[in-house]
Amino acid sequence: MSEGAAPVGRPAGLAHRGGGGLARRLAWRLAVVMLAGVGLAAAAVAWRTIATIRSIDDAALQSQAQLVASQLAAGPDGRPTLQLPGTLAARFRESDDGSFFLVYGRSDHALIAWDANAAAAVGPFVPPPPATGLFRVPPSVDYPEGMLGAVIDAGPWRVVVAQTHEQSQALLDSVLHEFLFSTLWLLLPIGAMTVLIGVVTIVQGLRPLREASEAAACVGPDRPGVRLPEAGMPAEVQPLVAAVNEALARLEQAIDAQRRFFAEAAHALRTPLAVLTARIDELPTAPETAALRGDVNRVTRLVGQMLAMARLEDLPLDLTGTVDLHRVAVEVISDLAPLAIRRQVELMLTERERPPPIRGNAAAVALALTNLLDNALAYAPAGTAVEVELAAPATIRVSDRGPGVPAAERQAIFARYHRARGARPAGAGLGLAIVAEIASAHGGSVWVEERAGGGAEFTLDLGGMLRVAAAEERSGDLAPLRRSRGQGVLSRRPDHGASAAPGESRDDDARRLPISSPTQAASTIGS
Amino acid sequence: MRLLVIEDEPALAGLLRGVLGRAGFAVDAAEGVAGAEDCLRLADYDAVILDLGLADGDGLALLRMLRGRGQALPVLILTARDAPEDRVVGLDSGADDYVVKPFHSEELVSRMRALLRRPNAALGVDLTLGNVTLHTTTRQLQVGVAPVTLSVRETSLLEMLLRRSGQVVPRDTIEEGLYGFDNPATPNAVEVLVHRLRRRLQDAGATIIVHTIRGVGYLLAES
Repeated sequence: MSEGAAPVGRPAGLAHRGGGGLARRLAWRLAVVMLAGVGLAAAAVAWRTIATIRSIDDAALQSQAQLVASQLAAGPDGRPTLQLPGTLAARFRESDDGSFFLVYGRSDHALIAWDANAAAAVGPFVPPPPATGLFRVPPSVDYPEGMLGAVIDAGPWRVVVAQTHEQSQALLDSVLHEFLFSTLWLLLPIGAMTVLIGVVTIVQGLRPLREASEAAACVGPDRPGVRLPEAGMPAEVQPLVAAVNEALARLEQAIDAQRRFFAEAAHALRTPLAVLTARIDELPTAPETAALRGDVNRVTRLVGQMLAMARLEDLPLDLTGTVDLHRVAVEVISDLAPLAIRRQVELMLTERERPPPIRGNAAAVALALTNLLDNALAYAPAGTAVEVELAAPATIRVSDRGPGVPAAERQAIFARYHRARGARPAGAGLGLAIVAEIASAHGGSVWVEERAGGGAEFTLDLGGMLRVAAAEERSGDLAPLRRSRGQGVLSRRPDHGASAAPGESRDDDARRLPISSPTQAASTIGS
Repeated sequence: MRLLVIEDEPALAGLLRGVLGRAGFAVDAAEGVAGAEDCLRLADYDAVILDLGLADGDGLALLRMLRGRGQALPVLILTARDAPEDRVVGLDSGADDYVVKPFHSEELVSRMRALLRRPNAALGVDLTLGNVTLHTTTRQLQVGVAPVTLSVRETSLLEMLLRRSGQVVPRDTIEEGLYGFDNPATPNAVEVLVHRLRRRLQDAGATIIVHTIRGVGYLLAES
């Protein structure tokens, strides 16, 4: 459980953006489909209308030809005579679009023509006998629309009725016009409604997902019991939510098991130590008793530090709390003041201004400061002062007047089981490694410098989380839980260049670089 | 002073009885939650020493139950659980002090005494450290056998320090305890007051000393 558990709070932002995208995508596609559908429907209606109008035209022409044929009679010279009833003649007269008729004999010249000009124009295109039926006359100067005609047999004669296309064209135009306006006005609101309903459905359907994302953002090492709500979740997403919840349950079990293990380990190790300590306290004062007491103290320290280190390594640190550096410093200094007085070292806190609260784990920061002060008190000569200095935004500096740390060891002292030359025998070599681990968990770093005037000056910079927090607030993201293990640099000064800046070195190997090999570590414990 | 020690490790329970008994306390021991409940029903205790990992239940649950019943008696948690979070949880559950095993007998006894010296606790009347005794009811100070006169504020300051002797009393606490809202402390009023108290104790030949933890507070200890 290291990098895998890192971006716990991420899904909130992703789901948010994804939801908007889905709705927008659906709206676009529906709109395109609707418009294409309207266009296709218009085209189909137009095509059908044209066909219908044409067939109406055709039928009308044929029936007119029949009417004309029924009025034909053979004259004495064998030529046909036509007695048009008034109504029929009026119909031909009134049709200003040039409906007219011709009557042919068996030869190809007209015997009767209603309109001579038109007869001349139509004549060449009349299908020769015995064909009957419809025919078309291509557009000409006099009849730019062309003409439509019908020819039927009427006894010995053939009757031709023709009309210009103007009438059918006008009808078609008006029908299309009518259709486009009335139907479009009907179709557009329906289309808009469809798009709207689709978008609303998507947005509402995704709302449970967004709620689940918010719940997921709350899951952290301190609250592994949180589960995503499954109620109201769309059926398509339910398997995902169920799977995530199962994974969360397994995570919770793992964290619980680790917690129990450490609690039991602490109990198993510390209870016999407590008995031993109490028994030694019963012994009469003697040099041997003092030596025994020193030994037990050493083992106690070792056990405490190893437990703390193991916990830091194996349990995620909850960084969602706020840390008031002033309060932490006052508490830790108060705890260590009796020790400082026994060692005749003055302990003091200076702060030019109170640093603002930061995000992190107050108990862990207190442990880090305790270890730094422990270290300083161990090396500070009697009669000198150990100074704790707080600086905004999130820096704790611990300075002493001890021998200082040689330049060559300034990185190595933060490695596990490192033993400084001349270190007091009680040291387990883990105190500063724990500080470094806590600093890196907060996205910060710790380093040591030579203090002006002699001594060591340790700086614990917890500013890394601040930057993370600021970035999150800017993006409006709810990702408070970030385990930045493997990030940050243990023991480098920030002015060593951008490559060493906290949070930029993601290389786990770089972090482990200063740590001794296991065999070395083992021999250090044994010595 | 009757104490109840709730501890499931028999060897440690026996040793605790010995240590606390020699320090002048009457000590009963219970092995688990059930036994502890019986003891608490049967007798009045002045304080409880509570182990958290008990064989038949969690000490924290017992503590919460005690506090839930409105029992105000001081409780000192004595546990192997040393994770920083555990300490916070313990204190939040209503413990008055939290000691991680292993512990030194003297430290445990002095912390127990400090608990009982708190206002309204059992040891409230005479506060003694070194050759200095403050009678909190009459507000009279005695160094050795001689009475010493202090101002009202000096007496209050000494009382605060005596009640938590061996521990740092934060400066903020002193300011809040000595100066009201109507009469706020001037910037270095506490320093001046401590300085005066120190001189008076020194003049009277007291064997106690007020240590300054600069930027944090003050600590009273035997010199």
